[in-house]
Amino acid sequence: MKSENFLLKFFLAAYLIVFFGYLLGPLIVMSFTAFNSPAFPKLTPWECLTFEWFDVLAQDERITTGIKNSLFVGIGTVILSVVMGLAGALMLTQIWPKMRATYYTVVIAPILIPGVVLGISTLVFWDRISVLLGLGSGSFLQNGLFLTILGQSTFIASYCMLVFVARLQRFDTGLTEAALDLGATNAQAFRKILLPFMKPAIASAAVLAFLASFENYNTTTFTFGKFPTLTIELAQKVRYGIDPSISALAFIIICLTILGALAHEVYRRHQQLALNNGAPLSAVQGSFQLPKFLRGNPAAIVLVLIALGGFTTIWFAQSYSPKECILDVRQQKQILQEQRILEIKRQRMEQNKANQNSQSSAPAKSSTAPQSPGKGAFGGVFAPDNLDKKAVPESPGKGAFGGVFAPGNLDKATPPDKKSD
Amino acid sequence: MNISNAFRNYFEKNGVGLGTFLLVVVLFWVVVLIILPQLSMLDFSFRHHLPPPEMGGPKDVYTLEHYEYLVLGAPGADTSYNVVDLGVFGRTLMAAVFVTVLNLVICYPIAYYLAQSKGSGGTTRILVLLLIIPYWINEILRAFAFRIIFGDSGLINETLIVMGLIDNPIDFIRANVALYAGLGYAYILLMIFPIYNVIESLDRNQIEAARDMGASWARIHWRVVIPYAKPGISSGCTMVFMLTAGALAAPQILGGPSSLWFTQIIYQWFNQGGNWPRGAAFAIVLLVTCVIIVLSMMRLFKVKMGDIGK
Repeated sequence: MKSENFLLKFFLAAYLIVFFGYLLGPLIVMSFTAFNSPAFPKLTPWECLTFEWFDVLAQDERITTGIKNSLFVGIGTVILSVVMGLAGALMLTQIWPKMRATYYTVVIAPILIPGVVLGISTLVFWDRISVLLGLGSGSFLQNGLFLTILGQSTFIASYCMLVFVARLQRFDTGLTEAALDLGATNAQAFRKILLPFMKPAIASAAVLAFLASFENYNTTTFTFGKFPTLTIELAQKVRYGIDPSISALAFIIICLTILGALAHEVYRRHQQLALNNGAPLSAVQGSFQLPKFLRGNPAAIVLVLIALGGFTTIWFAQSYSPKECILDVRQQKQILQEQRILEIKRQRMEQNKANQNSQSSAPAKSSTAPQSPGKGAFGGVFAPDNLDKKAVPESPGKGAFGGVFAPGNLDKATPPDKKSD
Repeated sequence: MNISNAFRNYFEKNGVGLGTFLLVVVLFWVVVLIILPQLSMLDFSFRHHLPPPEMGGPKDVYTLEHYEYLVLGAPGADTSYNVVDLGVFGRTLMAAVFVTVLNLVICYPIAYYLAQSKGSGGTTRILVLLLIIPYWINEILRAFAFRIIFGDSGLINETLIVMGLIDNPIDFIRANVALYAGLGYAYILLMIFPIYNVIESLDRNQIEAARDMGASWARIHWRVVIPYAKPGISSGCTMVFMLTAGALAAPQILGGPSSLWFTQIIYQWFNQGGNWPRGAAFAIVLLVTCVIIVLSMMRLFKVKMGDIGK
C-alpha cells in the first residue's frame, strides 16, 4: 500500500511538472528570445544579451497606434458589456419562469458561437442597415471602431453576465424591499443597495471584459476596418516575417500580467490576514503599513523582489551596450566561415594530390598514403612535399591557405552569414 | 398569469425608469446584437454576389448558389463534389474533436488534483494562478511562442541537432504538430475550470467510502468521480470544441502550407475573394454543424444546456 502510494505521488509530481512545463515553457522561451541578438527570435544559439528589440518595438508606429486603438475599443467594450451584462443578469432573476430557459440559452449562446461568425454577422448586419438608411460607404455604421466594439460586446457581455449571476445568487432581496418600505425610490434602492453589493463583481467583470477585448482576434479581424487593434497588428507581423521585437512586447505583457496577478494576491492576503486578526474590513481597507504588509505574505515579498529586479534591469540596460558582443559574434562567425572555406580548400587540395599521386610513381604515393583526407584540420598542408605541389598550376595564384586572407573573402563570408540569421 | 400581468409586476418591482432602462438595454443586446445579425447573415448567405448598386434591384433574389458551391464545387469543375472545401471542413471538425479529447485527457487529472487538494491552500492557489497567467497573454503571442519552439531553427530542432539525434530539422509545422500543440494550449483553461468547479463540490466521503469498500483507484474514478463531474466535463468539452473549430489565429500562424482550417477559407472569401455572401454561407454551415454536434453530444451524455457556463 505504501509503495503504491509513493509511486502514485511520484507520477503525480512528474505529471505536474510536465503539465506546467507545457503551460509555462513557451512563455519563458519567448521571453528569453527578446534578449537574444539574432534577427530571428530564437533561443539557441545564444549570442548576445541585447536590449535593442525594445527600442525597435518602441519605434514601431503601427504597434503604438494599435495600442491606442486597442485601448479605445477596450474601454468602449468594457462600458457596453458591463452595462448589458448587469442588465441581463438582473433580467434573468425576474423573467417570467417559462421564458427563463430560452432566455438563458439566447444570452449564453454568444460564448459558444465561433468568434468568426460573430464578426461576420456584425459586419453584414450593420452594412445592410447603413444601406437601408441610405448612408454612403464610410458612414459611422461602417466605422471599424464602432463595429469592433459592438462585435466584441456581443459575447463579452455574456461573460460579464455569468460573473454577475454568480454574485446575485448571494444577494438578499430583503435588503431592497426594506429600503423600498422605508420610502426609497426604486432608483435609490438600486443605486444605494444593489450597486454597492455588486461592486466587486463589477470590478472583476470590467477587468475580464478588458482583457477579453484586448486579446480578441477572431471577431475583430472582420470588423476592424481602418482601425487595426494591437492584436491585428501582431497577427500581421507574425504572419509576414517575425523579429524579436514581438518577443519584447510579449515579455512586457507577461511581466504586467504577473505583476497584476501578484498585486491582486497581495491585496487578497493582506485583507485575509487582517480579517483573521479580528480587524473589521473597513479598518483593513486603505491602511497600508509596509512592515505588517510584508509579514507572512510571500506574494508581497515576491512582488517587491520583482520590482527591484525590474529597476536593476532598467538601470543595467541604460549602461550596458551589446555592441562589443555583437561584433565579437560576427567575428566568430567569420572565423567559422573561414574555417569552413579552409576545410573545403583542403579537401580540394587533397583531391588534387590524390589525383596527382595516382599519376606519379609508386614511392611518392607511399609517402602521402598515411595522410588520408579528414585526419586533423590541417590534413596534409604541412607535409614536406606540399611545397612542391603548391607550384602546380592547378590552383593559380593561391597559397597554401587557399587565399583565405585575401581581402575579398570578408565580403564573401558575410552574405551567407546574414542568410543563416 | 398572462404577459401583461407579468409586465405590470415587473414595472411595479423595478419602477418605471429603471425598468425601462433594463428592458431597453437587454432588448438591445438580445435583439440588435445577437439575433438580428445572425438572421441577417442567414439572409445574406442566400443572395447572389452582386456589386453594391445592384443590391435590392431586380437581380437581388434568393438563391442556393453558395451552398451548392460548398457541396458541388464550381459549375463545370472536374469533380462532382467540392473535394477541397469539403475535405477541409471534415478535417477541421476531426481535428477539433481530436484536440478536445486530448485536452480532456490532459486536464482531467489536473482538475481533479486541484479540486481535491483543498487542504493545502497556499500551493493550490499558486498553481491556479500559474494556470491563469498564460490565459491572459494574447492569443497571437501564444501561437507565436509555439512557432519559436517548433520552427525550422526553433528550440526543439536546434536542441536535437546539437545532441546529434537528427541531421536535418524536422518540419513540425508541416506535420501539424505545432498546430495541435498550440490549439490544445490555447483552451486548456476552459477545460480545467468547469471540471474543477464540479469536482470541488464532490464530497470526499464518497471517495473514502468507495475506497473502504475495496474499489480500485481506476474504479473510483470511473464509477464515482466521472459521473459526478459529467456536467463540468461536457461544458468544458463543448467550449473547447466550439472554440477550436472556430479558431482562426492559431491555424493562420501555426498551420502548415498544405493544411487549411475551415475558418481560413471563410476568411479568404471575405478578405481576398471579396465574395461576402459565400463567406456568410460557409460561416452558417460551420455554425450549424457545430451546434448540431454539440447538441447531439449533450443528448448522448444527458446533459442540459443550463449546465454550461457554470
